[in-house]
Amino acid sequence: MTKLYCLSAGEVTTGIKNLDFSAEEYIFQILERIEKIDVKINAFTTVNKNCALNTARSIDKKIRDEEKNIGPLAGVAIGIKDNICTRGLKTTCASKMLEEYVPPYDATVVKKLKDSDAIIIGKLNLDEFAMGSTTEYSRHGSTRNPWNIDCVPGGSSGGSAASVAASECAVSLGSDTGGSVRCPASFCSVVGLKPTYGCVSRFGLISYANSLEQIGPMGKTVSDVVLVMNSIAGMDDNDQTTIFGVPNYRVQPKKNIRVGLVKELVEGADDEISKCIYNAMDLFAKSDCKCEEISMKSIEYALASYYTIATAEASSNLARYDNIRYGFDSSPDTYEMNTYFAKVRSNFGEEVKRRIIIGSYVLSSGYYGKYYMKAQKIRSLLKQEITSLYKKYDVLITPTMPVLPFKFGEKIDDPLKMYNIDVDTVLANLTGIPAISIPAGFSKGLPIGLQIMANESQEQTLFDAASLFESTANVQRSPEL
Amino acid sequence: MVMAIKIGLEIHCQLTGLQSKLFCSCHCDYRDREPNSNVCPICYGLPGTLPLLNQKALEFSSMISFALGCKIPSKILFYRKNYFYLDLPKNFQITQYNAYGITSIGVDGKLEYGDGKCARIRRVQLEEDPGRLVYGESNIDRSFYTLIDYNRAGVPLVEIITEPDFTDPKDVRIFLNKITSAIEHLGVCNTRLEGSVRCDANISIEGGKRVEIKNIGSFRETEKALNYEITRQKTMSIHEIEIKAETRHWDDSRKVTKQARAKEEEQDYRYFPEPDIPTVILGNEFLSSLKTKIPELPDDRKSRFIKDYRLSEHVSQVLIDNKELADFFESAVKIYSSPKEIANWIVSELMRVMDVNHHKYSKEERSLFSDLKVEPKHIAELAKLVDQNTINRNTAKKILNQIIKNGEMPAQLVEEANASTIDDSKVISEAIESIFKSEESAVKDARQNPNAANFLLGKIMQLTKGRVDPQIALDLIKKKLIETN
Amino acid sequence: MVSNDEIKHLGWLSRLELADGEITRYASQIKEIIGYLDKLDSISLAEIEPLHSKKEFSELRKDNAVSFGADVLGLANKRKDGFVKGPRMV
Repeated sequence: MTKLYCLSAGEVTTGIKNLDFSAEEYIFQILERIEKIDVKINAFTTVNKNCALNTARSIDKKIRDEEKNIGPLAGVAIGIKDNICTRGLKTTCASKMLEEYVPPYDATVVKKLKDSDAIIIGKLNLDEFAMGSTTEYSRHGSTRNPWNIDCVPGGSSGGSAASVAASECAVSLGSDTGGSVRCPASFCSVVGLKPTYGCVSRFGLISYANSLEQIGPMGKTVSDVVLVMNSIAGMDDNDQTTIFGVPNYRVQPKKNIRVGLVKELVEGADDEISKCIYNAMDLFAKSDCKCEEISMKSIEYALASYYTIATAEASSNLARYDNIRYGFDSSPDTYEMNTYFAKVRSNFGEEVKRRIIIGSYVLSSGYYGKYYMKAQKIRSLLKQEITSLYKKYDVLITPTMPVLPFKFGEKIDDPLKMYNIDVDTVLANLTGIPAISIPAGFSKGLPIGLQIMANESQEQTLFDAASLFESTANVQRSPEL
Repeated sequence: MVMAIKIGLEIHCQLTGLQSKLFCSCHCDYRDREPNSNVCPICYGLPGTLPLLNQKALEFSSMISFALGCKIPSKILFYRKNYFYLDLPKNFQITQYNAYGITSIGVDGKLEYGDGKCARIRRVQLEEDPGRLVYGESNIDRSFYTLIDYNRAGVPLVEIITEPDFTDPKDVRIFLNKITSAIEHLGVCNTRLEGSVRCDANISIEGGKRVEIKNIGSFRETEKALNYEITRQKTMSIHEIEIKAETRHWDDSRKVTKQARAKEEEQDYRYFPEPDIPTVILGNEFLSSLKTKIPELPDDRKSRFIKDYRLSEHVSQVLIDNKELADFFESAVKIYSSPKEIANWIVSELMRVMDVNHHKYSKEERSLFSDLKVEPKHIAELAKLVDQNTINRNTAKKILNQIIKNGEMPAQLVEEANASTIDDSKVISEAIESIFKSEESAVKDARQNPNAANFLLGKIMQLTKGRVDPQIALDLIKKKLIETN
Repeated sequence: MVSNDEIKHLGWLSRLELADGEITRYASQIKEIIGYLDKLDSISLAEIEPLHSKKEFSELRKDNAVSFGADVLGLANKRKDGFVKGPRMV
């Protein structure tokens, strides 16, 4: 019997519509797979078992009754990062502060997925409040890398990447503030996209750094990522920072793309990784693409700018967690207000507290001009540089991560060392441009990701380059689980 | 001893003229609802929600800026003011801030008031109101918990900050009346609703430290609070006690200012631009269409009353001070064009029966006309009847009293008055006098033949159109016949 | 610069109760991180406008009132007569 859980999203929905198998059968296998595998991987925080089966059955019925409006993601099992609100389903951000929070509304992307007849299979593990690059900062325990369970899966969307790599769901949604979709995609050898800022609605995404983040899809293939994007992207009245109309992306590997390799970022990576990226460049060249190494002057300020802005916004976004209206069980009776706040908020994890403090620092009286305003100006500078680069190139490529997936605990005691692994990914968040990580190879059995970035709102160009690379590089494999 | 006093004002005005809140679609009108029944995920601060700026709020606040002579920038930005408080659902307030460039809806304006006085407006900004707190026990110092109602959270507020250009609390009162009139004329806020306008103040004497007075509940209380504070500071001065720079709270029940509770430390609000609300580009089209959208402002209306209707400055001012009266006046004049006469009726007669001052500060929203049944059409017709000499002024006044009670039209009432029975013996005697003069022969007859008195009665009836009480008339006729025999 | 006292003060500003051990640990880590962020000082950017998304006035939300229609409060266990209960103010 076919292992239905190994199918791509596109294959699932085609198969179900063609009555090759039922949605119920498929979901049943997926749930079995999760039950068998997740004890090793720990990608899920909640599994939506009964609801998923019921939805599957109703989709099967719709198909049997030959209804006209079957959605483009019919029957596809999709996991949702646990910082995206799902009505009636616990959404915890891997934090004690939202331990018992059940949202009374769906995030726009969740609503759109439901309208596309996708099946929400469960919520996925993350670093607390999306702050981290390894999913080690979660109250639900760490998620493990399906390629090597002693290694981190990346973060903060570790659960989203690992679940797809381990075939626990066909596709997933993560969120990317400084690389949180691309990093785990790279470490787990799946495809992960950070869309252009404003392309996908953030309504229902529990904010960490709102001027930087986007919800992004992950899947085994570029095709699957495009399929999900066509469902979730688009202008939303509930998010005044969204800017686009109706998405209609296609998978069309194109040649003759002008490619720029960002020198500073390749040189900053470990040797095996640089080597892999140069090989990638060769592959593009072989496909009639003009490839050149380029230099970005201001890139050295990007990481400092990112951490200033992200922590500043986080310190404010997380202020609302005072356990008054939602949180966990702890009575305010007899407490004085400030004492109560300080007591309940001591339940944040260490990394979150650290970022809140740094954020308060950079915004505090006297320091605003020195840090926050400067950091925002760096963004403009980077944007200017990027804009002029994109006059000469269609896409820019870099490694997604400067290092291979490392062992648990390796960087956790040195926050600054941890922050440094974001060096390749923060540029796209700071400038708002779309960026994708696509499997590029392996070293010592551990995945390496290639990052491709296109200009603002040029997702189609990005997909063209990514699918070209995917078809020529032929990296895809499955981890043995 | 004359002391140099400097007073600045911080006025908060709710945009009660809007339908929805500033950042969500909940009702702007939060009064008289069950607690927490007018909330949604956005104004309640649920995780994952984003503020959605209300277009009309921006329009209204720019109208206020315009009316106050402010410069309106071409781009507007919102900022977060970060602090922790139970009435703040997000533990930050979305507001406007000008430290890093002009981003608020109005700056550098001025408003003339009183006798050629002028106060400068530092800035006008748009921001959200917090929720309301209720204390577990009646005394805030003794409760074990606090109760929170978020119905008001997110209601749009316009904050107007003046330079410290005032030197006398009386001037402050006149200025506040002027602002009230302007706001009412713009239609952005119903100032009669409780809590819809409030004014905090700051004051310094003789170049001394600045004291802020907060928690002043209404415009009316502002003058009182200032007077109290001036007395307090002068007294301290006389006794050579140093006046500290501090924030004091106005205690409405005891009518005193008190030191703000516990250490209200210098707050570090860590302002930064609100990332979820884009910079709003207003553009030239916005500004020019603003000028056409703005209703007539009080000063302009007053000038027009003086020029077009030839009313006196005093009468015009009285009408303008209460928009309802000005509106009433113009509606009446549209029906019958006699502006001076109509104005006179309103100012001299109608206002006597309205308690204008009481209504201004009452808790509920009440029209000046709410107990009265009189409408513009009544006054218009009354003026017409007087102009045409159909009735004299005294009669008109009496008729007005009736109109106020039962809302009938004056002409109708005049007719009824003419048709009603006359039983006033004085009036009847007058009628008899004139008949006796004109019907000498009949009178002679009547003296000899008592039945001929009926003829005289008939004549009286004719004269009074059948309105006299016949019995009284007959008695009086007979009496007179005997008297003059 | 980033002293223990500063960390304590920032903890207060953010309403985070920090144990003494935490304060010391954070102080040294944050000192290092802020030292890294000081990099921003080395470049002059006086003429540059900071980045912020933009929208036209006409694209803003229209002023219509709509009730949310579902229970938003369900999550606050602490309630009294419809109010949400919080700690005392003083």
